[in-house]
Amino acid sequence: MNKRLALLVAAVMVLTLFITGCGKTSKSSGDKATAPIKIGHIVHMTGSAVEAGGEEKNGAILAVEEINAAGGINGRKLILVQEDGQSSNVGVVQAFHKLLEDKDIAVIIGPSPSTQIAAMLPTINDAKIPVATGGTNYGLTHSGCQWLFRFRPHDGMSAQAMASFMVNDLKQKKVAIVHSTDAFGNGGRDLAVAALKKLGVTPVLDLGYNNDEKDFTAVINALKKSGATGMITYMTFSPDVGILAKQIKQQGLKINWIGSASVTATPARQLAGEALYGTYAVADYHPDANDKAKKFADAYKAKFGKDPDFYSSWTYDAVYVFAEAMKKAPDLKPESIRQALLNIRGFQGAEGIYNFDQNGDGLDQYNVVQNVNDVIKLVKTIKAQR
Amino acid sequence: MSILKKNSSSTTNIGFNPSVSYLAFAVGVIIVILLPLIFTSRYTVNLIILASAVGISTLGLTVLLGYTGLVSLGHAVFYGIGAYGIALGTTRWGLNWWIALILSMAFVALIGLILGITTLKVSGHYLAVVTICVQIIFTLIATNWKAVTGGPDGISGIHRPEFIVSLSTSRNFEWFCLAVLLVAVTFVWNLKDRPLGRAMRAVRENELAAQVLGVDTLKIKVVAFILSAVFGGLGGAIYASGSLYISPDAFTFDQSVQFLAMCLTGGTESAIGSMLGAWLLYFLPEWLRQLKNIYLVVYGCIIIFVIVFIPEGLWGFVNLLYRKLAKPRPIPVSKQPLSLDIPETDIVLQVENLGKYFGGLKALDGVDFIVKRGEVHALIGPNGSGKSTLINVVSGVYSPTFGNVKFLGKEVTGMRPCAVAQMGLSRTFQNLRLFNTLTVYENVLVASQRSGGSIEEVHERAIAAIEFVGLREKVHEQCKNLPYGHQKLVELARALAGRPKLLLLDEPAAGLNQTEKQDLVELLKKLNAMGLTMVLIEHDMSLVAQISNQATVLNFGKKISEGTMEHVLQDPVVVEAYIGKKEVALGA
Amino acid sequence: MSTLSLIGQILFAGLAIGGVYTLVALGIVLIYRATNVVNFAQGDFTMLGAYVLFALSNGEKINFFVAFLLALVVMAVLGLLFELGVYYPLRNRSFLPVVIATIGASIMFQNGALAIFGPMPQKVRPVIYASGNGGITLGGVFFDYQYIVILVVTLALVLLQYLFFEYTVLGKKMQATSQDKDMARMLGIPVSIMIALTYIYSTVIGGLSGMLVAPIFFVTHKMGVMLGLKAFAATICGGFGDVRGAILGGLALGVIESFGAAFISTVYKDAFSLLLLLLFLLIRPQGIFGEKVAEKA
Repeated sequence: MNKRLALLVAAVMVLTLFITGCGKTSKSSGDKATAPIKIGHIVHMTGSAVEAGGEEKNGAILAVEEINAAGGINGRKLILVQEDGQSSNVGVVQAFHKLLEDKDIAVIIGPSPSTQIAAMLPTINDAKIPVATGGTNYGLTHSGCQWLFRFRPHDGMSAQAMASFMVNDLKQKKVAIVHSTDAFGNGGRDLAVAALKKLGVTPVLDLGYNNDEKDFTAVINALKKSGATGMITYMTFSPDVGILAKQIKQQGLKINWIGSASVTATPARQLAGEALYGTYAVADYHPDANDKAKKFADAYKAKFGKDPDFYSSWTYDAVYVFAEAMKKAPDLKPESIRQALLNIRGFQGAEGIYNFDQNGDGLDQYNVVQNVNDVIKLVKTIKAQR
Repeated sequence: MSILKKNSSSTTNIGFNPSVSYLAFAVGVIIVILLPLIFTSRYTVNLIILASAVGISTLGLTVLLGYTGLVSLGHAVFYGIGAYGIALGTTRWGLNWWIALILSMAFVALIGLILGITTLKVSGHYLAVVTICVQIIFTLIATNWKAVTGGPDGISGIHRPEFIVSLSTSRNFEWFCLAVLLVAVTFVWNLKDRPLGRAMRAVRENELAAQVLGVDTLKIKVVAFILSAVFGGLGGAIYASGSLYISPDAFTFDQSVQFLAMCLTGGTESAIGSMLGAWLLYFLPEWLRQLKNIYLVVYGCIIIFVIVFIPEGLWGFVNLLYRKLAKPRPIPVSKQPLSLDIPETDIVLQVENLGKYFGGLKALDGVDFIVKRGEVHALIGPNGSGKSTLINVVSGVYSPTFGNVKFLGKEVTGMRPCAVAQMGLSRTFQNLRLFNTLTVYENVLVASQRSGGSIEEVHERAIAAIEFVGLREKVHEQCKNLPYGHQKLVELARALAGRPKLLLLDEPAAGLNQTEKQDLVELLKKLNAMGLTMVLIEHDMSLVAQISNQATVLNFGKKISEGTMEHVLQDPVVVEAYIGKKEVALGA
Repeated sequence: MSTLSLIGQILFAGLAIGGVYTLVALGIVLIYRATNVVNFAQGDFTMLGAYVLFALSNGEKINFFVAFLLALVVMAVLGLLFELGVYYPLRNRSFLPVVIATIGASIMFQNGALAIFGPMPQKVRPVIYASGNGGITLGGVFFDYQYIVILVVTLALVLLQYLFFEYTVLGKKMQATSQDKDMARMLGIPVSIMIALTYIYSTVIGGLSGMLVAPIFFVTHKMGVMLGLKAFAATICGGFGDVRGAILGGLALGVIESFGAAFISTVYKDAFSLLLLLLFLLIRPQGIFGEKVAEKA
């Protein structure tokens, strides 16, 4: 009797769970010709990636507002539908599924972390809907997925840019690589080694550290011992960059430093202050790189009261490029939008000029920038091989 | 061994009518079939698959934490190993899904075994910390050992199994997951009232008492860890095939904490509760999506709230309600009265030159004494004279500093308590050591299952022992709710149910009132008349005088007198020891 | 750069980090001794202390040192709330519910901080405001002033704590409470108040550790997680419930990590302390100073 009652209660509980939790199905919204077009956006609103998530959200919001103010897409307004990716692989897949429920969503803007895109890939292949990403891992767009479009140059290009600048411009041959031991860091390390090799340089040191490291004494010692005069870094989190920079200065190490975007990220600069002066970084976004970038920076500053960074610039571009494709496409079927995206040529975005190849890579140039007394100055733009 | 034996016949199992369990199972089957039919969206399908994986994994904690009372903050390690096993097996090594599953289950069981063996050394907080360490080391390895684990990039292209039909579509796989979940819940649910499950709960409630009742506690804990690992791994395997991609960040400490929270919220001691807890907490973040960045704060609050206000979890809450409404299933009267094993040797217990030092304290210092078959042998002496220590050494709780103990003619010195108990030695404790949240019946069953036999015999022995001490009416009461006198009787019944050849009673009458004491005297006399040999520690001399025929007197860890009761009570050494000590005792 | 100064640098870095571990470990030990509770939220007190100081000192409306003292007071209040909300309702239950409640509190603290202060790492000024590197180079070894402050404060605190527990009535009462609650109660010591005081004190030193490391680590909602864990490792290696153990364990752990990272592997840096911890747990679970406790039958 007990058990029967127990199981019945269980059954009822499970059922109510579902009815309340998952019973909501999306309703199609009225008239097709004037109804707004929805763009799904997976944004990290909780967890460790909220920082970047907020920027990505802002960039997309700004672009949507501008496009709507300019009349929308053939008279139809754009709407952003945001879902929390929870800063985790499971979370983004869940959010992606949730967005797919809404049949009015034409395209989806995915998250930046590469592992999260990797986690989504099986579902993207299955769902057959264009997805934008800011994930820079080389393999993402080279796995045969036809639906993934990248709005930032990939790590292979940043590695080429860094290696080329280090060897050709800074004239350093004793180069060390320091990287975080996550997908970004390890992947970047491999590409940097390959890019240096092409230039005839073998790194004198290749050192990984775990994210959230607080004491880089061991890393700095290794750098000193190796006799490296140049350092290429792939560090995921900008606070780590801040700490490394401070300790490098404190422990009296002089080294030419060019790193991935985290070196110029605002937190790193705020935390390290003058310890980062003179360092170089590659940046896919720089306000001085082109007119569109400048315009974007001004509009962003006006609306959000702060300077944009690459997180906001790529989602800003993604919305614009998607809008452009949807304007050109005969209808809003995923396949039509995909074809339209592949046909885009020479579209000027804040990040650069978009020409999508068959893999879905849109950009092929990187800016090298320098921290000059806390001002990020554009040094040069390096066009990379795809 | 008997505790591990699973008997398919459950007719005598407490409160468990087979037709009801079949009905319940049928309800479960209907839910499994219906869920995928009612909710068809891919979002829900995906959620149900992953929630099933989490649910199966959480069941591992039900066994480990709920039943056995061992805390693990590294459950995600098992989850991760299962997931990596399937991922590597099906992608890298090209194995069939099922073979990959078997291999990863074997591996995860091995890890469970190793962790289980650590419980020999560590328990409580320490165990919690050991599991955290294992968790963090696992995360580090999964992240950094790129050659094997794929590093932080993870592994993609994971296969789904075939089971009669191909399960590669999400819908089919969903059914499979729910079916596995149902089987797992049923297994864990049933385990609770099996000898193994009962032994686990006994270990949780009172490890020492379980040991002296013949439960091999180390083995039980190891088995609990292995089961926990296997369920964790199975959940992980299903997760890997469900999401088709894995990476280390799904198996971190946070995930372990989530498993724990799920198990607790649902109710640690119930399979269904844990499963519901897992589902609830899995869906909660989905529902709380609109709370955005404060939902984890709410999550933390819920954990504290549940712990403080609903300690038994949501299921415990349901349980409390219906326990008041529903009557437990009656237990048949025993067919024959309590029977006892009479040893064959004349000398039941022989202690030679036994010593036990605690640092500088000589609790026992070279004691010799002999208990013959059929005796009620009193051990008397002032407080601190070493009586309880003697019983603890004899029953294997302490190992002696020197000397030896022979039980039934066999050397038992330094043997583990459960081994001595298996030979037929039962004991009670000076301070009650009952399995408090178990019922009277379950308490006694733990003891009666040690001497083996069919399930019917085990139940028969238990009920006979309960009837013997006169607690028939209380069989379904939880021990913690009984009055003190009854609790003492439960301990006696428990000692009797294991067919003892020798019974050691450590102050059985302490705290009883006069009537209860007299009832106890009658019971003990009856037992002695049935041929049971007993060693009795007791301060109430009039009680001792009524039942004992032999006595040994200890003082400061040494024997000062022995012989018949009349003899020792008139021995001037004894009188001096007592009078000298009694004043001190009164003063305290 | 000579090998000696390299080693000196590694040693100093290890000692300094070890000092931080010690401060966090002290809080764990005190609460454990008083209430037999392993507080899994102790690391988060570090984080809370840092954030409170950040909130008070940000914008420099209040003098930094006044803000520092105020932050300690806020931490004391938080400690009392923590005791009342998490420990007190569970005081008569077994260790497990309390442990899990502290884990729940830890989740709450971290995400509460995230909700209030956002994900952006924050900076707090060091105690000694020096231009340049914020430190001094002696014999090729760089000494960060803040690390020196941490070491000095740790030592001072250990000394003060010793004097407090050995030579003051209140300290003795607190110690009596931690040793035997029933006995203390019979002696007329207000046990509940003593326990509350212990929690308050532990929270304050937890917060203090956070305020001291904030300039070095930067303030994030996750900053207490690894610290708390390392502090546990330190406590266990030293012997749970032993103050000497916490100090020695904390410092040793910092140094071992530092040297391990420099000479073996930077990647598996965190694994050294954990492996050490596992070894201790399995070989000498009572730690360096602890005594083995046998269950009385």
